[in-house]
Amino acid sequence: MAASSPVDADVVRKIAVLARLTVDEAELPRLADQLSRIVAYVDLLEQIPETATAGELLPPATPVRPDVPEAGGGRAALEENAPKLMHGYGAVPRVVGGGS
Amino acid sequence: MAASVVSIAADVGAGRRSAVDVARESLAALEAQDGRVKSFLEVSGELALEEARRTDARVAAGERLPLAGVPMAIKDNMWVEGRATTCASRILEGFRPGRDATAVARLRQAGAVFVGKTNLDEFAMGSSTEHSAFQVTRNPWDLSRIPGGSSGGSAAAVASRFVPAALGSDTGGSIRQPAACCGVVGFKPTYGRVSRYGLVAFGSSLDQIGPLTRSVADAARVYAVMAGEDPCDSTTLQDAVGVPEAAVARGASGLRVGFLTEAQVEGLDPRIAKNLQDARRAFQLAGAEVFDVSIPRAPYAIAIYYLVASAEASSNLARFDGVREGLRASDADLAAMYFETRRRGFGEEVKRRILLGTFALASGYYEAYYGRAMRARALLSQDFADAFARCDVLVCPSTPSPAFAIGEKLDDPLAMYLSDIFTVPASLAGLPAISIPSGLTEDGLPLSMQVIGPRLGEEAVFTAAAALERELSFPDETPRGLRQGP
Repeated sequence: MAASSPVDADVVRKIAVLARLTVDEAELPRLADQLSRIVAYVDLLEQIPETATAGELLPPATPVRPDVPEAGGGRAALEENAPKLMHGYGAVPRVVGGGS
Repeated sequence: MAASVVSIAADVGAGRRSAVDVARESLAALEAQDGRVKSFLEVSGELALEEARRTDARVAAGERLPLAGVPMAIKDNMWVEGRATTCASRILEGFRPGRDATAVARLRQAGAVFVGKTNLDEFAMGSSTEHSAFQVTRNPWDLSRIPGGSSGGSAAAVASRFVPAALGSDTGGSIRQPAACCGVVGFKPTYGRVSRYGLVAFGSSLDQIGPLTRSVADAARVYAVMAGEDPCDSTTLQDAVGVPEAAVARGASGLRVGFLTEAQVEGLDPRIAKNLQDARRAFQLAGAEVFDVSIPRAPYAIAIYYLVASAEASSNLARFDGVREGLRASDADLAAMYFETRRRGFGEEVKRRILLGTFALASGYYEAYYGRAMRARALLSQDFADAFARCDVLVCPSTPSPAFAIGEKLDDPLAMYLSDIFTVPASLAGLPAISIPSGLTEDGLPLSMQVIGPRLGEEAVFTAAAALERELSFPDETPRGLRQGP
């Protein structure tokens, strides 16, 4: 869309890698156009004067529960849902040493 | 089924009706009609009847259960023991959590019965339920229109009278907007009132579970059961929940009701503008003090929301990569497993949001986008705090238009995002808000009003919403789309 948009096909290609997403080359222009339009819209925020008070508005503190150990008990569910198990452990492709 | 949450719980609790009988009625209703609406992703009849038998046994043993025998539907991004949780995504197909979400466990403890899991936009990202990987849910008032989203399945199931109550989750309006489209009540509590444990995370600083029902009293009952501190979610609040149902019966006399100035703009759909005037008169008739109140930063809410929620989503959804659960599309090597699993597992809208969020957080863009949005969010919250110094509740429409046609906004993500323009501000400020049906258009589509309260102000929200409900008397009937032949 806008010629000055910070989002072009190269930027989409780069952020897709950061996000571990595959974007087909044929899809890049359409996606870049959609994201450009969204980014152009959010640039509306530049109209808000940045004031010192903004930083003072912090969310309420998160309550903390007592630091007492409790049984997890989730192993069966983890095993039931793991895409692949070997010897009772979740298995992933080999990271070191090549092969699978 | 025409019975309400409160009446079913009273009948089953007093032994006038069995929970099994109620569950059978609910299952028969959805079996007869859900083929047209497509609100459920999974119906679990046998499990529901087992749960109903357990509730009957507990009632017979003298237990007093606030949701005795109430059949409920649960949005499919929350854990229900024994049922799959897909988030309407291929990437979670086959995932079966080993336990209930805390909110679901509390409903179960209160005697509720779970008939099934409802459709949603994939990972709750959408305003039409068209982004489900599995099916498009239809609006029971007009089957050619969307039910809203992302809790579109839950809203359509309640509107269709398959169940008197359902759970939804609301990140930027995902309970209130579908409730508005389907002519039902949808309530989002203050952030932290209801535990998010067992709700698959989308935007963790925004997500909140809440009920969809056909009346404000029913919403208050379900909310009261779920609300309260949970050691499994450190963001739950320790503040007392109060007695929400007592607030429903309180009149609105003397209540200070602010009408959102920023909603009364030129270009507002004339049907919505007229309905807003009707709501203003209704509050005056109920004895409330009515005036206009401004939230100056409200017009920026969509821009803030789509940066903050997408940034959080890109982080939360990083965990779906083929390692822990659900789909693993490749074992070739680690990178192939990540990329191929996410390529096949995620739909287009989820990928778009992850990309937008990754962009907003990326080095070189963070300060200009995410940082600026977070500062604007703080200013918007301050606007609400200033407004609630003058009024007890704020009122505005729930949606900028009635339910739109299926496919109408599918190719224009920004137009779809703008459907949430009235619901997103309360989400960003973490405030309680309810959508209640407030009329029908000439062609029979529901219109809705939203009541927003201050932080922890659920009781004022219920009082105001119940008063409006009494004055406007939305028709208590089967939606038009289901009364017509197939």
